Amino acid sequence: MMKRYSDYPVATLKEYGYRDYSKMKPVNKVLKTILAYVLILGLYLSIIVIAIESFNSSTSMSRFAGFSLEWYPNILQEEDLMTAIAATFIVSLIATAIATILGTFFAIGLYAMNKRKRQQWMLLNNVPILNADIVTGFSLMLIFSFFNQFIKMVFVGLRGDWSLFGPTTLILAHLFFTFPYVVLNVMPKLKETDPNLMDAAMDLGVKPFKAITKVLIPAIKAGIFAGMLLAFTMSIDDFVISFFNSGELNVNLANGNQFIMNFDNLSVWIYGVLGKRNLSPSVYAFSTLLTIFTLVALIGYQMSKNKKDKGRVKVKK
Amino acid sequence: MNSLYRRLAIPYQVWLVVLVFLPIMAVVLIAVSNLTTANFNLSDISFSLAHWNDLVENQSQVDGEYFNSYLTAFRNSFMYASITTIVSFIFGYFLAYQIKQSRIKNKFIILTIIILPMWSNLILRSEALRNIMQENNIIESILGFNILPSFAGTSYAVIIGLLLTYMPFMILPVYTALEKIDDALGEASLDLGLTPFKSFWKVTFPLSLKGVVSGSIMVFLPTFAGFAVPKILSNGTILLIGNVIETKFTYKILNIGSLLAMLVLFVILGSILILTRFDKEGETLL
Amino acid sequence: MKKLILAIAIMLIATAVVSCSSGPTLRLLNWGEYLNEDVIDAFEEEYGITIKQTVASSNELFYSKIVSNTTAYDLVIPSDYMVEKMVEEDLLLELDYSLIPNKDLVTYMAGVDDIYASMTATTLARTGETVDYSVYAVPYFWGTYGIIYNNRVDGLEEALNEYGWSVYFDAETYFPDASRGMYDVPQDAYATALIYLGENPNDYSQDLLDSAQTILQNAHFSQWADDALKRDVEAGNLDMAFAYTGDYLDRLYIQLDDGRTLEEVQADFNIYVPDPTIVFIDNMVIPYTATNLDAAHKFINFLLDPEIMALNAQSVGYAVPTEEAYDVIISYLDSEDSYLSSWAYANQTYYNKDREGTYYPMTSLPSTFVDDITTMVDAVKVSS
Repeated sequence: MMKRYSDYPVATLKEYGYRDYSKMKPVNKVLKTILAYVLILGLYLSIIVIAIESFNSSTSMSRFAGFSLEWYPNILQEEDLMTAIAATFIVSLIATAIATILGTFFAIGLYAMNKRKRQQWMLLNNVPILNADIVTGFSLMLIFSFFNQFIKMVFVGLRGDWSLFGPTTLILAHLFFTFPYVVLNVMPKLKETDPNLMDAAMDLGVKPFKAITKVLIPAIKAGIFAGMLLAFTMSIDDFVISFFNSGELNVNLANGNQFIMNFDNLSVWIYGVLGKRNLSPSVYAFSTLLTIFTLVALIGYQMSKNKKDKGRVKVKK
Repeated sequence: MNSLYRRLAIPYQVWLVVLVFLPIMAVVLIAVSNLTTANFNLSDISFSLAHWNDLVENQSQVDGEYFNSYLTAFRNSFMYASITTIVSFIFGYFLAYQIKQSRIKNKFIILTIIILPMWSNLILRSEALRNIMQENNIIESILGFNILPSFAGTSYAVIIGLLLTYMPFMILPVYTALEKIDDALGEASLDLGLTPFKSFWKVTFPLSLKGVVSGSIMVFLPTFAGFAVPKILSNGTILLIGNVIETKFTYKILNIGSLLAMLVLFVILGSILILTRFDKEGETLL
Repeated sequence: MKKLILAIAIMLIATAVVSCSSGPTLRLLNWGEYLNEDVIDAFEEEYGITIKQTVASSNELFYSKIVSNTTAYDLVIPSDYMVEKMVEEDLLLELDYSLIPNKDLVTYMAGVDDIYASMTATTLARTGETVDYSVYAVPYFWGTYGIIYNNRVDGLEEALNEYGWSVYFDAETYFPDASRGMYDVPQDAYATALIYLGENPNDYSQDLLDSAQTILQNAHFSQWADDALKRDVEAGNLDMAFAYTGDYLDRLYIQLDDGRTLEEVQADFNIYVPDPTIVFIDNMVIPYTATNLDAAHKFINFLLDPEIMALNAQSVGYAVPTEEAYDVIISYLDSEDSYLSSWAYANQTYYNKDREGTYYPMTSLPSTFVDDITTMVDAVKVSS
């Protein structure tokens, strides 16, 4: 005898292991959102304290004497601080620019290799990222000292106070750890591109270099930007590696005078000043300005983008 | 065409060999020499392994117990780095997951918000944290009460400081890995009857493992070998191996410093090998 | 990309304009904020020589910067023991006193002469050579070390005055629960422990090292730091800290600037200078790397002028080395300007010319000893 469909026992959703979580959902969601914001607040905790210090009218780090904006214009008065800020930006911008441009080409070169070789070189590429700062800084200093001696031996005519240490070594050291970030961020985007893209371009008679700049680079733009941002971040906050490899800029001017500028970046300068004396709250002011400026720029960028997107939708209608 | 483009990498290959291999070789050479302040002239330098004894010798006696300060520093490093890595994995993964679930689609924005604190100087940030972990601090002077217990100088302070400093290194790789996962996979698993938690555990998490490994290593290594954050937040009372190396280099006891640096390098190389098992080209490293 | 390049170009030009200087320069390797801006201005105006300062935070950094010769400094301001070490390693040039006429117009304080004599004695004991350090060095500032204490803690001041060093090293017995911070320089920690033991802080032997280690371990310092110590005592987060008397005066002057009175500050935190204590002297010396000897001598001569030296001391909390400069400072005791009178009063109180006591400048111990002391202090910290 045939059993009818309705004779079979029917399993409920519960018996399948389904549980109704929908009632828990709103509570969970609120808790999760709160935790997420608390964590982000935690990441910004020190930044907030620095901002408060920058508005403190007293130089005391532990007592808030009153609200004041005096430390902001005062940044311009502090010659040493200005020099350190200038050195930081010069080094970071130059290192980031070189690392972004050359790093992109390096990544393309590595991408063109076969898989095995590429993996081996990527391993080496990652060493500067993972190596301990203190080991990198110290060992680079050893190599640069060696180069320094070597150059002095070969070019006997150099002035006695000539030294490789200064902007050159600082930028080289920063390139050492910024290149890998650019290569790392560009590589995945390269893999996402259609391998036929370049062949097609070349078949159409585009010169190899043009094919890179006109076809490949626009396709991997997002990776280049991410690499640039990370390279700049690592460079602007670097302390240990810069500490071992800084010096001063020293140029003979046409009129026979010397142009000398301390090339310690902000981190190294702060470390030197903290050792014996009080830090001017203008340092906090500068730090706060940098954060606020970037945040505002970011929000502005996002808003203008949203506007653009909305505009596009309208056109479509 | 490929052979043509391959040439673009040649300068970088030379650069990597010169600046990665040679410096490491130099450190190794110093580690087997007698180079300290006592022998700072080139003519006095010779091969020596005498200082290697220090590593294993019992150095000092406290309350009747012998112990070796290098080993203790190494153990501290392992302990603090492991705890920091585990805790930042829990919170970092959570945050990365939340960001992925949120509607923000622009990776650039997320990246910037997470790394922006790093644009401020590390020493200033650590000093700021130390400040508010003390009994009398700037926030207390405004609010009249403390938002944190006064634990500056304790191991908790060090762990919190390390966590807040290095968590971005966990969030970003995990986010990168999560972002690459096709949402359809999760939906399919739900349709097939998995609970949301099981779906996450069986589908999403294994696919994000690459990012977790990268993130863990990116957190573990700098906490293991760093010195600024522990020095400031422990009030100089807790030494990690990075602090010991820093002191040796500062006082120009280069051979022991290099020897310790070499041991740290082994840890780093080990980590790189682990990393390559999960992520051959380090794609999820920041 | 074009915008980025433009931005870089603008930055470069801007900095070139900001820091461009013409004329001869004096490259000075100095401690942070250790030279009054007014003195720099006066010097630059008088001689047309631009001062380019590099700051470093320790004598060891001065040393490594000179040895590595990455920059050719004309003048350095290292402390006593580093001068000994630099002379021993032939890193300094002899001064040409014919270019320093002001030297004949001033008298060094008795304490300063003691320090130079002590430096000569320790060098003689160590190397068998008699070195006259005034050949290489002219004093810049000097000062004592002391114990900065939190005066809001009842009874601490009295305990310190009665028991001195013991309160600091053996708080468990003399003032339980008092938190203490030690200067994070290994040799300083070693030397203070020896002074507490009644030994000469410049002696070294394995036995002394072991005793010092025991003392430091049993002291259970809650903090090992540099600059943070004085700020923490000031804020009330630390009870006692070993520090330069100058560190205290430094904070005092800042608070006076903020409008507080001397009595108010002293009621918050004060400094106790034990006897015997360690002293230091920072000296102007010309390293072998110098390229502008003329400017270096001019600067030394300029600083020896009592008025200039007193002016320099206005922003720096250390003691002037010449009696004439001290007299200039003391002449401000009755000044209408409350800052100047407090400053003069502080000098009279904490750096009195006639204060008697045993002063030990720290010597440059042989580097193997320094290596051992460094390792010992690390062991103390690790075991805490």
